[in-house]
Amino acid sequence: MLWQLLPQAVLDGLLIGGVYITVALGFSLAFGVKHIIDFAVGEWIMLGAFLGYYLQGWTGLDPLLLLPVVFAVFTAVGYAIQPVIHRAVSGRRGNPVLMGLVFTFGLMLAIRGAGLTVFGFFSHSIPSVMSARSWFLEAGGLFVTVPAIRLVGFVYAIGITAVLHWVLRHTDFGLAVRALAQNRDAAGLMGINARRISSWVYGIHVGVSAMTGVVIGSIFSISAQMGGDYTILAFFVVVLAGMGYLAGVPWAAFLLGLVQSLFLVYGNPSYTLLAVFAILYLILLVSPRGLFAKGV
Amino acid sequence: MRRSRALWAGITAVVFAVIPLLTRDTFALRVVTEAMMWIGLAVAWDVLGGYTGYLNFGHGAFFGLGAYTTAVLMMRGHWPFALALAAGGVLAGAAAVVAGLPTLRLKGAYFAIATWALARAVQQLALVLEFTGGPDGMRLPPFLNPQFFYYLMWALVSVIFVVLWILLEHSAFGLKLQAIREDEEGAMALGLKPTTIKIQAFVLSTVPAGILGGVYAYWITFIDPASVLGDLVTDQSVVMAVFGGLGTLVGPAVGAVLIYAFKTFFWAYLSEYQVLYLIILGTVIALSVVFLPDGLIGLLTGRGRAEAPRSPEPADENPPELREAAP
Amino acid sequence: MRRVVAFTLCAVLGTSPAWAQADRNYFKVGVITSLSGDLATGGNVTKRGYDLWAKAVNEAGGIEVNGKRYPVKLYYADAQSEPSQGASGAERLATQQEVDFVLGPYSSGVTLAVAPVLEKYKIPMITGSAESPLIWRQKFAYTFGTIPPVNYTGSQPVGALAGLAPKPRTAIVLGSNDAFSKATAEAFKTAAEAHGIKVLKFNIVPSGQDLIPLLSAAKVLRPDVIAFGGHDEELINLVKALRQINYTPKALLMHYGVTEPAFVEALGKDAEEVFGASVWTPTLPTRGDLLWADARAYAEAAQKEYGVPADYTQAGCSAAGIAFQAAAARAGVTPPLDEGEKRALRDALEALDIETFYGRIDFADRGEFYHANTGLEALTVQIQGRRPVITAPAEFAEAPARYPTTPWNDRR
Repeated sequence: MLWQLLPQAVLDGLLIGGVYITVALGFSLAFGVKHIIDFAVGEWIMLGAFLGYYLQGWTGLDPLLLLPVVFAVFTAVGYAIQPVIHRAVSGRRGNPVLMGLVFTFGLMLAIRGAGLTVFGFFSHSIPSVMSARSWFLEAGGLFVTVPAIRLVGFVYAIGITAVLHWVLRHTDFGLAVRALAQNRDAAGLMGINARRISSWVYGIHVGVSAMTGVVIGSIFSISAQMGGDYTILAFFVVVLAGMGYLAGVPWAAFLLGLVQSLFLVYGNPSYTLLAVFAILYLILLVSPRGLFAKGV
Repeated sequence: MRRSRALWAGITAVVFAVIPLLTRDTFALRVVTEAMMWIGLAVAWDVLGGYTGYLNFGHGAFFGLGAYTTAVLMMRGHWPFALALAAGGVLAGAAAVVAGLPTLRLKGAYFAIATWALARAVQQLALVLEFTGGPDGMRLPPFLNPQFFYYLMWALVSVIFVVLWILLEHSAFGLKLQAIREDEEGAMALGLKPTTIKIQAFVLSTVPAGILGGVYAYWITFIDPASVLGDLVTDQSVVMAVFGGLGTLVGPAVGAVLIYAFKTFFWAYLSEYQVLYLIILGTVIALSVVFLPDGLIGLLTGRGRAEAPRSPEPADENPPELREAAP
Repeated sequence: MRRVVAFTLCAVLGTSPAWAQADRNYFKVGVITSLSGDLATGGNVTKRGYDLWAKAVNEAGGIEVNGKRYPVKLYYADAQSEPSQGASGAERLATQQEVDFVLGPYSSGVTLAVAPVLEKYKIPMITGSAESPLIWRQKFAYTFGTIPPVNYTGSQPVGALAGLAPKPRTAIVLGSNDAFSKATAEAFKTAAEAHGIKVLKFNIVPSGQDLIPLLSAAKVLRPDVIAFGGHDEELINLVKALRQINYTPKALLMHYGVTEPAFVEALGKDAEEVFGASVWTPTLPTRGDLLWADARAYAEAAQKEYGVPADYTQAGCSAAGIAFQAAAARAGVTPPLDEGEKRALRDALEALDIETFYGRIDFADRGEFYHANTGLEALTVQIQGRRPVITAPAEFAEAPARYPTTPWNDRR
């Protein structure tokens, strides 16, 4: 009986992990380039989710079709905000990590307050045609149920990861970003406009996070208070992956998803989160710069 | 200069000591009591965060550990409050040694997130254990004497402040911490033992948090994992310390008083705008980082701090600039 | 910097006003609830309930005591979902505003921290929402509650389900790891076992946990009943997860949360046929002497005021106001209340037994439910046609339970 559950548990773990990839991807990118621990990442997800929710209500379109709009809007927001963040972490300050963190913490409080004021306190859900579908597969006594919307979330995550990977590896913009992440001064000497590139990076981070909010709203529920939970997930995945090490993000996300799923099915579910945090802590002690020891 | 500082500190302490004699308003007493608690928490956080450059995002876990130790010993072990409180402080210190040994090897953001993960794990542990009451939390026998808690808090926070002041500002220990903050390997080359010193700083930072947690438990009469092991204590201590000025004792104390006073004033007299206060507080915090590079203390003294803290990481984009010599 | 401290000190102390108390002709009512923080959703529902009561009372001229009417004025203290801030708020309302009585917190944790402070000042409090059984075991003399504790209400729907045909034989009971949800899940489990339903799996899970792996595993056991204790967004997530794995139990049971408008709004047809427990719905046959004649009248007033249907929490909070209103009239106390009058008000509350739009209010004066309202009948509700419909007990039932539940894919 128990082993029969294994394929399902593994699949569920991977599908859960899939969503976590995009929760953490933008954050990891922003950290790699700007060394910002973005406390507001969950709030960008929340804002994106609500934009998707209202757009869906007005247009009646499936939320998945609205993703590009949400991305565009929030990339612009991120682009516009980056100069202020730059000011917060540079200049005469001694501890840029802490300054960035406290700045985004303030941003987080302000956005959450604004969210509660504008969106109210209640939970909502973004309906998608995909959330009503699932496939049941059976072979040789083994069986799995594949929820369509979760598969969509998974494919979306892999897709975004692939696109981002391609952009970073094969475009001039990507080259500039990588140069910037490695050495700001040298990048400047090479004629790269650090400010502009940084703005784009933060813009992409905010845009991807916001878009992910819409996907999350289709799978789960959304509320103005939801941000904190996703900030935690983003922290978790990014640190496990190695801060700023983009290629590690999917693996860390899958590991987190699998640990939860297997623990829920085979362990004592009460201890799931305890196990999750204990594992993160232990991995950090054993390999201080993430799973692959490739963090910044 | 030093004498006048000590004089001012003494005057401040005396002013705080006579407040209960001047007012019968128990709400005002409660507010000042809590303000003093935040002074203690912010200053204690700064020992590791500001002086040593290690950002502890698990500060709240030690506060909660103290609160739970006190509550469990009083309720299940029938210990007297004073003993239970002391045990809370000792346990918080011991936990810092155990957690610090492996964790303090981590640098920068990794240390911050490791301590944060540890704090989350502790919160989950309190949620699933039986003797902590799980999600139901614990109730302590109400002892509702505002003067008692006021003077207790006053005495504890004064002692914490004076001890830290002597150790950090008037002994070699403070200089050692700053040496580690500026250049850990260099400090080692000079014959310092960074690991030992960092652990000492960690303990020095967590024992006050544990003791204040114990007072909180007895004072508020109810604790649960959400209230004493949540993010609030850590987040607020960090913000107060940064807002006031890192790597100083007066800065975090001022930051604590101002942020707490702002929150409380807004909360008490403009309650109709409860959500707005989040927006305003958030904006103030964000803007203070942008416009007050050295915290309020930098603004009040009219100059940049001579020994502005450095992260253990290389600051990647700051041009080197002239710094004033230390006084 | 010392100047700053001194200034702040003056600001804090100086603003403590000395109120002229002598001839006040209105009631000062404290409201301590969580308007921000993690519990803001529920806290703001309680605020709506209290506000609506105050508005209705004042439109009627005020609380009538000995033939004279005294308006009410609400003084808020946001507990910020933190017990310490709740206690601080209680202290402020007691000493600075000198309130006559208090309408209480949303959550049990805040209530447990607030109660001792009000006990000290001998100020009566009624919470319209906190429903953890823990509160009543403390036997606070001045704390009352209009909503019965979850272990009082949780067993009713399980019994009702056990009486349906074909009788459910197996159940899976899950609960989120917070005080309310855990108590709910435990009440479901105990009741299921008492009614001969086999509990195949009983798990308390961390709050906010994605439950799909657990539900996938549960699906294999093919339980007749899935019962879940949790808060609003957790309930929505659970239904969506079951929808996603396409498993329809014969009955899906939750607690109060399904009667919240947000549940139906978020889930649409997927909310249909979900069972819940409640003590009040807008269609409950009740009759009240004060303010609203019956549940329907209250629901209309609430709809008009806030644009959304009222749920049991909001109603319970408005009813808390009515309980004070009735008790003040019986005790014959007029503002400002001195200590003796507050004691008289408290005694009147304990002796109270009235019919309201919310149902009967009768605070227990002994036992494990001490000062909780045990005058109400626990109801089983089911979402039918996008609204909660009472299906049991028989004397209140508006429609038969739809059972077994229609498979997800066949709904419209």
